[in-house]
Amino acid sequence: MAEGTTYATPYDEPGHENDLKRSITGRLLFFYTLGDVLGSGIYVLIGAVAGAVGGAFWIAFGVGVAIAVITAMAYAELVTKYPQAAGAALYVNKAFGNKFLTFLITVCFLSSSFAAAGALSSGFASYFLEVWEFAPALVISLVFVLILTIINFIGITESVVINMLMTFAEVSGLIIVTIIAIWYVAEGNADFGTLTDFSNAEGHPILAIISGVALAFFAMTGFENTANVAEETIDPQRSFPRALIGGIATAGVIYVVVAIAAALTVDTETLAGSEASLLEVIKADIIPVPVDAMVILFAIIAMIAITNTTLVAVVTQPRILYGMAKEDVVPGVFSKIHSSRRSPWFGLIFSGLVVAALLTIGSQIDLAAGETLIDRLATVTVVFLLFIYALVIVSCLKLRGHDEAEGNYRASTPLLVVGLVGNLVLLGYVVYDDPSSLYWCAGLVALGVVLFLVEYLFGKRTRPASAERGDPEVGRGA
Amino acid sequence: MHVIVATDGSKQSLAAARHLKSFADPTKITEVSVIAVIRPLAAVSFADELSTVDQRKAHTDAGSFRAAAENAVDVVAAEFDGWGPKVHRKVRGGSPANEIIKAAKQLSAGLVVVAAGGRGISDVVLVGSTAQRVQHYAPCPVLVVRPAPRRTTSKAGRS
Repeated sequence: MAEGTTYATPYDEPGHENDLKRSITGRLLFFYTLGDVLGSGIYVLIGAVAGAVGGAFWIAFGVGVAIAVITAMAYAELVTKYPQAAGAALYVNKAFGNKFLTFLITVCFLSSSFAAAGALSSGFASYFLEVWEFAPALVISLVFVLILTIINFIGITESVVINMLMTFAEVSGLIIVTIIAIWYVAEGNADFGTLTDFSNAEGHPILAIISGVALAFFAMTGFENTANVAEETIDPQRSFPRALIGGIATAGVIYVVVAIAAALTVDTETLAGSEASLLEVIKADIIPVPVDAMVILFAIIAMIAITNTTLVAVVTQPRILYGMAKEDVVPGVFSKIHSSRRSPWFGLIFSGLVVAALLTIGSQIDLAAGETLIDRLATVTVVFLLFIYALVIVSCLKLRGHDEAEGNYRASTPLLVVGLVGNLVLLGYVVYDDPSSLYWCAGLVALGVVLFLVEYLFGKRTRPASAERGDPEVGRGA
Repeated sequence: MHVIVATDGSKQSLAAARHLKSFADPTKITEVSVIAVIRPLAAVSFADELSTVDQRKAHTDAGSFRAAAENAVDVVAAEFDGWGPKVHRKVRGGSPANEIIKAAKQLSAGLVVVAAGGRGISDVVLVGSTAQRVQHYAPCPVLVVRPAPRRTTSKAGRS
């Protein structure tokens, strides 16, 4: 996957003397993608997926990862064509040239990141409470958001080594689960019949799978943030497609294996009934290791995994706001940089407050029976991301024949069409199944519109004279 | 002597460059390398607060932090135009302190010039700023330019 991509490529540009050293190798990018994807889901919502499908819920993870891999292919093609840090908004702008659509995509991306950070913080609190039960979940998740915001301000997130260590910790947790299942199977206790069980399905198994995929899809998200480091990747033409697609495919294999392991060792009802579902596998006390120690170890690993992914979200939000401020679509205060820390302090504080508001509001209102705040915010994230993914695939197809250069990665067209249909079917299902999530989506988009109006009515012009308002091409550079 | 002038895109880094020029003897300096470091995993990888809207190479390297770093390097490098020493412009990626120290070793620099960063509470409370780490680990003398009283700083930035 990432092997053989760790050498530097000389880079020429007039006036800058071949000394434009890029620092992200293919291997680092692979671990960045893997860590970002892994933390976002399986620790948090495996129980909900099991509850929707039954013992066969591993199929939902398999289908979900297939759609995500195809979407990642579209991202890989676009990143090799336009290796800048702007991501989806840039691609949609290149493809459609429509300022409103570009703004909408940017706001959707920002909103999805807010909702994801909220869901992950709730997930963190669930695992935390399994070990130390001394405060309400809301307080723990709020403190978690606060700490991450401070960490981000100081800039610890910038260490690629820490990033890699966290990814290793995440994988190790999932290996523990797999080992337990192998032990269980070896002892001859496993009933493989559960793997084709659709007992929890309301209606046709296909519908159950779709609903499972819709829930599981949150676990696949996160890879789109890899575009953050596109610009600093060594030899992006070669290493980006490998690292991105390889990273998410590896995550997918791990997901399916862990889902099978969980289904074999714990019955679906127990999984579905737990807020920290993977811990149930440990609590089943299958391997001859003291269960209390294992529970604490595993909970800590799960918290590390969730922290890793939340950190990326917390870094991405002020970055998007910074870009938008430079394009004059949100107030200029979002581009204010702290003089010594070089962090966008206002964007950081604002993002932290939005996530805290989501958590607080979510804990105060009555959710539908059997639904947790994690499920709710995960659904909101997925609605936004499915919309963005579908548009990115369309942009990828629309930009064929433009800006193509020798050595660009090119995704398979039939696969992209399949991926597009997959994304749209899921989007349709999620909206049909849970229309109330649209209120949350509307609220987050409205926040973006309010920021735009404030800037439009009161803001000063900071973009270059040649650029229109909302042109993502000025967003980062200027 | 080869002098490295680091810029993080801040007005203070420009003031540091000007400070060097104000007292150093250009005949003793053979080369000046202006270096900016991009932090890929940071929320804002590079913030250019130096170049004016007209100076920016708009649309040549669209929507990129790299363009921001190059713009900032250009502004600082322009300070040394016609001063005497040959001026190099460099943009690197990674941790700023590490990259500045590495560059100092590779170029066998005789002096590194950095700005000391802000004067806020965070500098008192939190250790580990770029200037501090460069001071500790650089292979050569380091000129750390402290921020001047506010009025002077803002004047330097504006002109």
